[in-house]
Amino acid sequence: MKRSLSILLSLLFLTVAIADDKYEKEIKKNLEKIDECKTPNDYIKLANNFERIAAAEKDKWLPYYYGAFVYVLASYTDSVNSRKDIYLDKAFKFIGLADSLMPNNSEIYTLKGMISQARMQIDPMNRWQKYGADATANLTKAMQIDTLNPRPEYLIGVGTFYTPQQFGGGPTAAKPILEKSLAKYEKFIPESEIAPNWGKGQLEEILNQINQNK
Amino acid sequence: MFFFHSPICAFTVYSITISLIIIKQNLSMNLLYTISLSIILSVSLFSQTKISGKITDENNQPLPGANIYLKDTYDGVSSEADGTFSFTTDEEGEFELIVSFVGYQSYSEKIVLDKKEKFLEIKLKEETTELGTVVISAGSFEASDENKAVILRPLDIVTTGSDADIYSALETLPGTQQIGETEGLFVRGGSANETKTIIDDMVVQNPFYSSVPDIPARGRFSAFQFKGTVFSTGGYSAQYGQALSSVLVLKTQDLAPKNLTAINIMALGFGGSHSQRWENSSMSVEAGYYNLGPYFKIQKQRTDWDKAPEGFDGSVNYRLQTSKTGMLKVFLSYSIGDLSLRFPNLDSVSYKNYFYQKSKNFFINTNYHDILFDDWTLFAGYSVGIDNEDDEIDSDIAGKDDIFHTAKITISKNIFSNSFLTFGGELQNLDHKSFFSQLNGSFIETYFAGYVESDIFFTSDFAGRIGVRLENSKVIDKTNIAPRLSFAYRLGTYDQLNFAYGRFYQTPDPSFLLYSKNYDFENSDHYILNYQYIGSERTFRVEVYYKNYGKLAKGSVQSYPNFNLPQVDYTSNGSGYAQGIDIFWRDRETFDYMDYWISYSYLDTKRDYKNFPKLAAPTFTAPHTFSIVAKRWIPEIATQVGLTYTYASGRPYFNPNNPEFLGDRGKDFQNLSLNASILTSLFNSFTIIFFSVDNILGYENIYGYNYSTDGSRSAPILPPALRTAFIGMFISLGETNPY
Repeated sequence: MKRSLSILLSLLFLTVAIADDKYEKEIKKNLEKIDECKTPNDYIKLANNFERIAAAEKDKWLPYYYGAFVYVLASYTDSVNSRKDIYLDKAFKFIGLADSLMPNNSEIYTLKGMISQARMQIDPMNRWQKYGADATANLTKAMQIDTLNPRPEYLIGVGTFYTPQQFGGGPTAAKPILEKSLAKYEKFIPESEIAPNWGKGQLEEILNQINQNK
Repeated sequence: MFFFHSPICAFTVYSITISLIIIKQNLSMNLLYTISLSIILSVSLFSQTKISGKITDENNQPLPGANIYLKDTYDGVSSEADGTFSFTTDEEGEFELIVSFVGYQSYSEKIVLDKKEKFLEIKLKEETTELGTVVISAGSFEASDENKAVILRPLDIVTTGSDADIYSALETLPGTQQIGETEGLFVRGGSANETKTIIDDMVVQNPFYSSVPDIPARGRFSAFQFKGTVFSTGGYSAQYGQALSSVLVLKTQDLAPKNLTAINIMALGFGGSHSQRWENSSMSVEAGYYNLGPYFKIQKQRTDWDKAPEGFDGSVNYRLQTSKTGMLKVFLSYSIGDLSLRFPNLDSVSYKNYFYQKSKNFFINTNYHDILFDDWTLFAGYSVGIDNEDDEIDSDIAGKDDIFHTAKITISKNIFSNSFLTFGGELQNLDHKSFFSQLNGSFIETYFAGYVESDIFFTSDFAGRIGVRLENSKVIDKTNIAPRLSFAYRLGTYDQLNFAYGRFYQTPDPSFLLYSKNYDFENSDHYILNYQYIGSERTFRVEVYYKNYGKLAKGSVQSYPNFNLPQVDYTSNGSGYAQGIDIFWRDRETFDYMDYWISYSYLDTKRDYKNFPKLAAPTFTAPHTFSIVAKRWIPEIATQVGLTYTYASGRPYFNPNNPEFLGDRGKDFQNLSLNASILTSLFNSFTIIFFSVDNILGYENIYGYNYSTDGSRSAPILPPALRTAFIGMFISLGETNPY
């Protein structure tokens, strides 16, 4: 009987461990789907998956974080401005929830900055004053929290790349920022298999583009 | 973690995996375990429940991409293109099924999972704060940073017309008149004092720099200070009163986003501002000096300036975020300036009248806004405006002193879903003194108003706002009750029909009250019917209205029009009407990088007020007004170029030689102005260079005529210069990368 009790206990422990394993597997499975998404609707379906995980795993911030991330990607794909704003409203709500579960996290502030950048891109003439400042504030904070995180600088670099030269933007201005980010990417070790680890590929693409045009 | 939320679930889903692991690891299991595992296994295999159904909106249109899931589990699916969905679950017992979708209200339903197949048809309601919901909007134009569809953006105000003035920009909207000889918004047949400017819910007694005869004054408040503007051309809410025609509601910015120092250099003067941001508070200080002297030396003026306008203005904005929802705002502004000029005296060939004016304006507005107990919104504000004007007219001394206090409190409560009940009160005290030569006049007015209003969403397609306002004026010792109604019915995703009715009261202008207190409130009734289409990039709006004026103040007062007409007694016997149609079209989609809007107004109005001998169309009303604003962003040179063309048909003017009162019509008005904003970088700082020229085509506009006392001589009222050019530079120090 003693033996059966110990098996029962280990079974209980195993179940918890496997439940966590299941969570990681689900996240991983869905992360792999990001690259397959093409239409806004694909992204929404994927964001739905993350939302479901988030609703079940009430103390995990990553599902909300990825839900928000995917909604930002959806806003890049859609062609109608009003819908883009609706996706970003949802991204903003999700990242707020992630922030409440994991305060002072560099990745969360990075994504907040990314949302502000996306908001601004919808109507730069009218929005740069508000959302430009928002993006800078969030990305700066993300860098302060974790100086090794390459993503805040990646986003600042991309923003600079697409900014007209007259405002201090353009490829030449963006290059040193992107290179700094790349150096951080080289050294970056994600906390886990499912921790945020995106951006390097796109960054290298932009850097190639800059170098080729020279 | 998952295990604790849902023990049943953990057992059923994972027990298969677990049992396999254990089978692999331990082939010599005891009997107890074999039995228990096989029980678990059997439960797992036979306990699946299939849930399927269809998700639609309220109009039965399928919604693809909705998220359907069982709360606290991983089980769920997204709906397909035709709105259908289907998934299976191993759960048993009572669960909450959730359906969520962007732009729609989340839906939840308790379901019992008992292995029987479930089919659910679920209708989602649109989230009413999002685009596509009915908005109560008859009579109003809104400019805002918020996401929802609005007709104008705050930046539109700064980049429209030629002088970055809020009031000039609003004159490109239908319902307003092009009045070149005096400041103010003349809306739908109403005079300028029938429009009230409201900053953060508090009335500003005098929003303009002091004015000079036949020359319009600019607005005193910089357009950059405001994050939102609502310009109502009629039928507005019971929260506002004392305006027969229109209200302009301005909302100041919240916390300054960051520390920023900026300087501006203009042809007219220079200025600077600094914003400092702390964790939960911010302070912005702005100061400017203007002197039109150097500019007038370059740009020849028709006006015979003795001393060109010169002055100083400054403002302070303090913001304190008291809690997650609470915000304290203090806005203070001060301006001082003087000028003098000579203008021709039509009764004498050689003599010119001399006019000197020195003016000081002070305004402070302190207000607090918070959400209490979840769904109560509180607004409390107190403001003081002090306006002081000293004039010299030839050898006479004249002037005016106004001290205006306002206290206001508004409470709003969410009653159900998106419906609100709003109520509050407003107390105003005006101490008015005015003098001309030896004549002094003064009065003290205490005004009280209370209001109740409710915004009700009957359905997401049909909403109404029903309100009533009670007002009491001590100086005329009268009380009124003003009902206000506004309904909106949504026809499709982007278009809606609006109707508004309202009664509006206004205490007669101080110029009457100095002579007599035996007046009643002036009143007007507005009936407005509006159709509008607001897509994300295109807007169309057509509005027809009828406005009836009653009890307009009559009497021969010293101010304009001081022509030789029979003396009129001080009574409230005036009346009038205005009717017309306003059309607006804006399109940001058809042409790349280009945005344009077109406004047309037709106005038919007559009134009998002041010293009018009969009903007549007043001098500030043109039957036809048309304007087109086009802006194009040229990315290659980071420049926005804007063109504004305005046309107004001839307005009535008074000719004492014409037996028909106000029977003459002036010349048509035309103006084409060009402006350019060049975004660049100077001294490593983000810089906007603003440039504008007004009346490019050199059209000779005549605003009306002044006559000599005997009517034998006349002179046209002309703009101070044929063309006006303006150049300015706004530098944000250290701001290199706005993107």
